[in-house]
Amino acid sequence: MPGKKLLAVVLIGALGVSACGANDQKPSDAAAAKPDKGGTLRILSESRTINFDPAKSQSLAITTLGLVHRRLTGWQNAVGQPAKVVPDLGDTGKTTDGGKTWTFVLQEGLKFSDGTPITSADVKWGVERSFAPAFGGGLGYHKDLLGGADYKGPFEGKELDSIETPDAKTITFKLTRPYGDWPWIASTPAFAPVPKGKGAEADYQEHAIASGPYQIATYSKGVEVKLSRNPNWDGSKDQVRAGLPDDVVIQLGQDASVVSQRLAADSGDDQSAFGASFTSPAQLAQLQANASAKSRVVTSKSGAIAYLALNTQKAPLNNPKVRQAFQYAVNKSAYQIASAGTAALAGDAATTLITQGIEGREQFDLYPSKPEGDPEKAKALLAEAGFANGLDGLSLVLNKSNNQTEKAEAIQAALARANIKVNIRSLEADAFETETNLSDNPTYDLTLSSWQPDFPSANANIQPLFATSEIGKGGYNISRYSNPEVDRLIEEAQSTVDATEAGKKWAAIDKRILEDSPVVPLIYTRNSFIHGSKVGNFFIADFPAYPNYLQVGITK
Amino acid sequence: MSTPVARSVPAAIRSVLARDRWALAGTVTVVVIGLVAIFANVLTAIEGHDPYTYDATALDPNTGLPAGSFGGVSAEHWFGVEPLTGRDLFAIVVHGARTSFLIGLLATLVSIGLGVLVGAAAGYLGGWIDRVITWSADVFLGFPYLVFMIALGAVVPAEFPRALLLIVVIGFFGWPSTARIVRAQVLTLKERNFVKAARVLGASPWQVFRTELLPNLWGPVLVMATLSVPGKIGLEAALSFLGVGVLPPTPSWGRSISAAIDWVSVDPAYLFFPGLALFAVTWGFNALGDGLRDALDPRSVTRR
Amino acid sequence: MTKHVAARLGGMVLVLLIVAFCTYVVFYLVPSDPALLACGKPCTPENLALAREFMGFDEPWWQQFFTFLGGIFTGRTFGTGATAIHCSAPCFGYSFRQNTDVLELIAGRLPVTFSLAIGAAVLWVGVGVAVGVYAALRKDSWFDRAALAGSVIGVSAPVYLVGLLGILVLGFQLNVVPVGNYTPFAEDPVRWAWGLVLPWCVLAFAHGAHYVKLTRSQMLETMSEDFIRTARAKGVPERTVVGKHALRNVLLPVVTLTGIEFGSLLGGAVITERVFSLPGLGGLLIEAVHSRDLPTLLGCTLFAGFLVVVANAVVDLSYGLLDPRARLT
Repeated sequence: MPGKKLLAVVLIGALGVSACGANDQKPSDAAAAKPDKGGTLRILSESRTINFDPAKSQSLAITTLGLVHRRLTGWQNAVGQPAKVVPDLGDTGKTTDGGKTWTFVLQEGLKFSDGTPITSADVKWGVERSFAPAFGGGLGYHKDLLGGADYKGPFEGKELDSIETPDAKTITFKLTRPYGDWPWIASTPAFAPVPKGKGAEADYQEHAIASGPYQIATYSKGVEVKLSRNPNWDGSKDQVRAGLPDDVVIQLGQDASVVSQRLAADSGDDQSAFGASFTSPAQLAQLQANASAKSRVVTSKSGAIAYLALNTQKAPLNNPKVRQAFQYAVNKSAYQIASAGTAALAGDAATTLITQGIEGREQFDLYPSKPEGDPEKAKALLAEAGFANGLDGLSLVLNKSNNQTEKAEAIQAALARANIKVNIRSLEADAFETETNLSDNPTYDLTLSSWQPDFPSANANIQPLFATSEIGKGGYNISRYSNPEVDRLIEEAQSTVDATEAGKKWAAIDKRILEDSPVVPLIYTRNSFIHGSKVGNFFIADFPAYPNYLQVGITK
Repeated sequence: MSTPVARSVPAAIRSVLARDRWALAGTVTVVVIGLVAIFANVLTAIEGHDPYTYDATALDPNTGLPAGSFGGVSAEHWFGVEPLTGRDLFAIVVHGARTSFLIGLLATLVSIGLGVLVGAAAGYLGGWIDRVITWSADVFLGFPYLVFMIALGAVVPAEFPRALLLIVVIGFFGWPSTARIVRAQVLTLKERNFVKAARVLGASPWQVFRTELLPNLWGPVLVMATLSVPGKIGLEAALSFLGVGVLPPTPSWGRSISAAIDWVSVDPAYLFFPGLALFAVTWGFNALGDGLRDALDPRSVTRR
Repeated sequence: MTKHVAARLGGMVLVLLIVAFCTYVVFYLVPSDPALLACGKPCTPENLALAREFMGFDEPWWQQFFTFLGGIFTGRTFGTGATAIHCSAPCFGYSFRQNTDVLELIAGRLPVTFSLAIGAAVLWVGVGVAVGVYAALRKDSWFDRAALAGSVIGVSAPVYLVGLLGILVLGFQLNVVPVGNYTPFAEDPVRWAWGLVLPWCVLAFAHGAHYVKLTRSQMLETMSEDFIRTARAKGVPERTVVGKHALRNVLLPVVTLTGIEFGSLLGGAVITERVFSLPGLGGLLIEAVHSRDLPTLLGCTLFAGFLVVVANAVVDLSYGLLDPRARLT
């Protein structure tokens, strides 16, 4: 589950919905007024901990962590445009050998909040630190590529040989194989600098040394984090952060419904606050009646792909024909209602694996039918596959903490129309993950899941979910889909450096995988957020389906 | 000597119901909701819905809220429907009564049964048995049982019948308070002549318990039971409210109330009906129990 | 007496051990892996093994239990070298989910729960006893009847239902009281109290009902006893009779009940805090249950057990001191 452990967002609860306006994506009224420099921005978070330790963080490049830490590369995202990789501390990287060796050059005159210069050695130290067992839990896409299987971090006195720092400004990564998306990987949290030799303590997250516009002023566990200006941050050397407010206060452990009520009421400090959690269907229904509040709800145009995974290694779903029947048997319309009340609130019906807003995505539908599905066609396909009487006793596991019961029941009812009988088994998050991601021999036939890529590349959409290497062992290939041809295509696309060319390859893989029907795409889940009337420039770009914290400011 | 007390229980109930209007009202409430629970299927069949079927047509297409006013209350849906799912709320409440009664009554049975046996054993046999039991009761009273139940509810696999788990757990943790009262009763009864006589005549402890002690315990036991049913029902609802009670889609008042929190300002009916039902049952049992206690106060029973 | 106290203390420790052990076993049976959290994304089996080793989850379960117990007296260290995490004695575990020593977590949340409990207890004992006494003195008056009916309602209405109604009506519809706003006492006592008014009243309504009933019946019983009649016959003013003689007899069971209820405070706090979204111990516990944060859970359960046991012991001992008769049994 992407986003599950992201710090700024809490997926527990509704999976994300939108206000009624389906595609009228535009910054809200308040956002249209240009925010000024200064003021105190408040972020109301449901989460109890905000992890400012880059090694432990899974935060997106444009949310909380980005306020304090810069990374080697950054994201530029805007409404109506696919997200782009742009320079942050360094440039966007150059490769001379087709994507196996990547060299980044840092900008001149960068400083940490303590005044010491930021060097390539600090970036290297930060990456190395993410290998230490004490600092686990973050995004680790770089680990395998840097060949660090036996590396246990820099605190045991060893360096990671695959990273070289010939001078204070240059850093070179020698990968185990060509990887075109490395500049994107360099935008993940572990590529934030940590002053060389520092950060051995477990509570580094509470006083992390900043490179971004803000530093941690106070950190009260579970209650509040106050960020104040980092005097050594130079805005002219940072193109992804506006750094408008003087202070940012993150209030932790806030009840989502209370947050929604407070922001709707829009009084006092709440005017300059926004909620970090998704606005639930119940809250949205409530906000409909309040014109002011309604105008302050910002809804993403698209979002994570919700899908029904079919266990391709277990009979009878090891038969592609049977799996294709599921494409027609599901009722995407009922799923939309179950997840958010209406189709417009829930998000568009999905037909591709690559999510909207990702460069190179191609829209297609291999299994066209009505939104309600086509049970007759499903039955016919099942009959062709030798199951004229349908299927019985399939087990659908789901993660209880994601509020998926209603959705699973909607799927159950839809499949029953095509004589597919399903039993629902709900597990707690850990147990679910143990079964779907770690078990060598799981017993489920179906499972519901959703995925948002961790960086804006089709690669992050497809490889984690469909490469053979991601089956079990902690990977997210929960349909346990294994196709040597697809594996080869994935590796080929991953090693393509040219983005346009790679995009075409990924789109072809998308189609190729769906021909085998390992999953049934359901919807691209919309997320809605509400903000106070003085919060300006609050927008959700095409990707990711979260507001860009780095650009938000306070209007006077 | 023991018979008059035994006979006095139904008599006391009759007199309570005749004199005490609150107790009567409570009894009527309990009986009505009890009947509703028993005939849940019939009632929902009359209404024409079940608590499980989704119905998107009963929802407002713009918000997912029930279509129509006050939660969509209509001739079609007597209590309206659930937001987002369109499931019939009357069916959910009525079947929820079944869940509540089943768990509340059986858990009370478990805890009272256990408490009486253990308490009587402690009081009558005395010695090390008494010490062990008294000490265990202290342990259990010192146990943060709600915390533990929450923990247990969260870890027991979904395959295990949830109602059974709740009955056993809620019932089991209820024994010490009953046992304490029963023990105290038995300690005084033990010194009474009819018990002494039975003992001298060579009756076994089990015989004494059945023929001499139990008939004298009915009064206080009945009061305790009546007064502890609402607690047990409330506990089931509280656990479901916290998300560790009966599993969906089995209807439960506590879970409906919990789900209704988020909707309360736009769809108060969703909170109103299950909340009212839960309140009515707890109130009914409490009113009845209070009346019974006034008539069958444990102290007055033993003094008699 | 000393022997009694010693036995009591010994019993307390034993109870706590049993509580800890049961919680431990129950949570150990869960098919889940706390190390998953620290494993990262993507989580490879190698990373998982490292995380397990670091957290001490690679030992057999009984050994982990003893390590936990040992930690209470000697403290614990997770990992080795520069990155090791020290949890000094008394160490009730370290929550890797929250990157904090469990005791610190509990200490951070305790003020909220105590604020909630103390304010509510003052209200419910005060109001409950006052109403109970007045009702007893005016037996069968309309006040008495209303108090009785109200107390049955109070006993019957679940805290969360009353709380929700309070939030809905007073918080959102009328906007009289704030909702979901906790300010630490040290920061601003007025805002602290104002933010807690609603939960206090709701809790007091639910709990006070018991006190009304208890006080009323106790009062009625006492007023009919000989020494009251003697005092009255002697011409002692009614005020003194009620205030000095009768009330003293009534207070004993009230104190007992308060002590016991205070002990079970954490259990009740779970629900109240959920309804009012207060960041207290109850909330911590629920979060721990849902995130399978075993160290936090174990710490909270143990702490809850500790409170109950201590409250029971205090009540027990004070009972012995206050009422000589009780010592005989």
